Amino acid sequence: MQPSRTDAVSCPECGAPAPFRGTAVSLVCEYCGSTVVRTGVDLKLIGKVSALLDNGSPIVLGAKASVDKVPFEVVGRLQLRHGRGTWNEWFINFADGGVGWLSDAQGSYAITRPREKSIVAGKVPAYSGCALGQPIVVQGVPYVPVERRVASYQGAEGCLPFAAVPGDRYYSVDLRGHDGEFMTLDYGERPDHREPTLYMGRAVDLLAIGLHPLRKFAGWARGGPPA
Amino acid sequence: MTSPTPPLKLFRDEAQVETIKCLSCGGPIALHSFGARQRVVCPHCGSTLAPEDSGALTLLEAASRKHQPSVLPLHARGQLDGIEWEIIGICWRRCVVDGVAYPWQEFLLFNPWHGVRWLIYSNSDGHWQLGQALDGAPEILKQRHHGVRFDKQRYKHFQGAIAVVTYVEGEFTWEVHVDDKAEINDFVAPPLGLSIEQSSGPDGVELNFTVAHHIDAAEVWRAFQQPGKPPRTRGIGPLRPNHWHRGRRSMWLSCLVFVAAWWLLSDRLAATRHPTVAFQRDNISFDEPFAQEIKIGTPGETTAIEFTLAASPLDNAWAYADVLLVNLANDEAVGFGIEASYYHGIDGGESWHEGTSRTTHTVGGVAGGQYLLQIQPQRGGTGSTPTEYEVSVRQDVYLTRYSVLALTVILCFPLLAWLLGWLFERRRWNNSDYSS
Repeated sequence: MQPSRTDAVSCPECGAPAPFRGTAVSLVCEYCGSTVVRTGVDLKLIGKVSALLDNGSPIVLGAKASVDKVPFEVVGRLQLRHGRGTWNEWFINFADGGVGWLSDAQGSYAITRPREKSIVAGKVPAYSGCALGQPIVVQGVPYVPVERRVASYQGAEGCLPFAAVPGDRYYSVDLRGHDGEFMTLDYGERPDHREPTLYMGRAVDLLAIGLHPLRKFAGWARGGPPA
Repeated sequence: MTSPTPPLKLFRDEAQVETIKCLSCGGPIALHSFGARQRVVCPHCGSTLAPEDSGALTLLEAASRKHQPSVLPLHARGQLDGIEWEIIGICWRRCVVDGVAYPWQEFLLFNPWHGVRWLIYSNSDGHWQLGQALDGAPEILKQRHHGVRFDKQRYKHFQGAIAVVTYVEGEFTWEVHVDDKAEINDFVAPPLGLSIEQSSGPDGVELNFTVAHHIDAAEVWRAFQQPGKPPRTRGIGPLRPNHWHRGRRSMWLSCLVFVAAWWLLSDRLAATRHPTVAFQRDNISFDEPFAQEIKIGTPGETTAIEFTLAASPLDNAWAYADVLLVNLANDEAVGFGIEASYYHGIDGGESWHEGTSRTTHTVGGVAGGQYLLQIQPQRGGTGSTPTEYEVSVRQDVYLTRYSVLALTVILCFPLLAWLLGWLFERRRWNNSDYSS
């Protein structure tokens, strides 16, 4: 499947092109801000999500790069809010047909791909049992919980693999390995179970993976500093 | 179909900087972080502003402190590690160890594409570090000296302390507040350092890992184009590289080459010598002094001689000889004492022995010619004292002492560097939790 495949459909609200990508389920119309959900061959309008905040991210929709020699494209953004502000989860489509997330929190970046839930199901603690700093071994590799958060959707843009409903609360734990490994345990709306959705990957440097184009910033040399 | 309104394209447009008025004192606050902020502290009055859910800044806490100058100013720009940075926030912190306060200043450096770094200035010793968030979690090592590992690099624990925020101004990517406390543990592998910072947050303990490297004060001053000279550095900072360790490998390698060359050369030199026996006499009685005229070497040339004394029987006893060689041509004399002894016994069930019945003494620079050899023997001991002794004089022997001297000279360079490096590390660690 070509990740850059687009279907010629229109936004039910304003009629602008609704460029769904790959397996994306929802799309935030670039023109009117409506969230459009694809259900089979039909498009459904679920209203407008709250506005994205400009939290200074240098990433833009349509940016491309390669990680571990697999090219990918940024096709959507989910912005989340927790007690200490907002961060972005950029939805990415890989050239190999897979999908993943580029997590973007205060200048710290990681790329993860969804993995089989069975790898961790029943083997990791519940949300509240993940003590920060206490390593959890997954597939023989120790991962240290570094952040636990209860987050809600702040806003979205572009394509997403699900319909983001603002206001719902989600429990997740970020873990990091001793050699740059990165893992997210997504407990969903309930913290009291031991079967989180699993995302695994590693920390990345945006310029090192060659993400391009990047956003422009007033007062800073265009195109970013020399590599 | 109606024509769509123009795209929002909010995040495709160039992000702009802005200046707002402090909601407490009305002074101008320049916002340079493009929204990547959780706290803004007015440089003029110290009031704290925080973004609402809408992103708009609201007054969180009014204050009326005075602005205090830091060692570098807010919004200064400079290039470090090949990247341009702007100081968007300044945070002073300090820890108290044994009743002494150690203050430092942290400069939050920002680059829209590279994120943030911390440039840290230690007021107490004038040293600088450049740090950034660690892309992972360090492994806690279970070893004698507390340490951590990350990405194949090991770090040794240097010190632990409670750090308190004493002054803030500018924009911050976290919820900074004066009087905030954090437990910091610093680990070092100069010029690298790794810090683990623990603080209590709304969600229990919060952990922050930072990796830093030493940076020269002069480099910071050049980078931020500051006038004059940076504040003087004192003593050895935790991360200052040990320059005695810099060429350590190549120094030991070249030393090894020199030793090999020395070995070959002294072997060759020794091979050019053909020692001969100038004089030998057995069965000499201890009862009276011995004197005999002997010929050593070739007149007009100098030689090295080896004098040997052997006594028998020698069993828990000693033999000693005062030896005098008088040059008959000019009455110049060479004198030395030489002793042979042999002791043995059983001590606590262990048998032991020491000494040897045959001893040699080497003399260099002996002029060739006729000599009068005079020997005053003595003997003693608890066992069987010797009854007779023998002496011999070999000439044209190879003087190992000169080649040993050369070896000492070769080895003294790396040994000296090792010693100075060790002293440097001792001074560094005297400022740690592990001072001797």
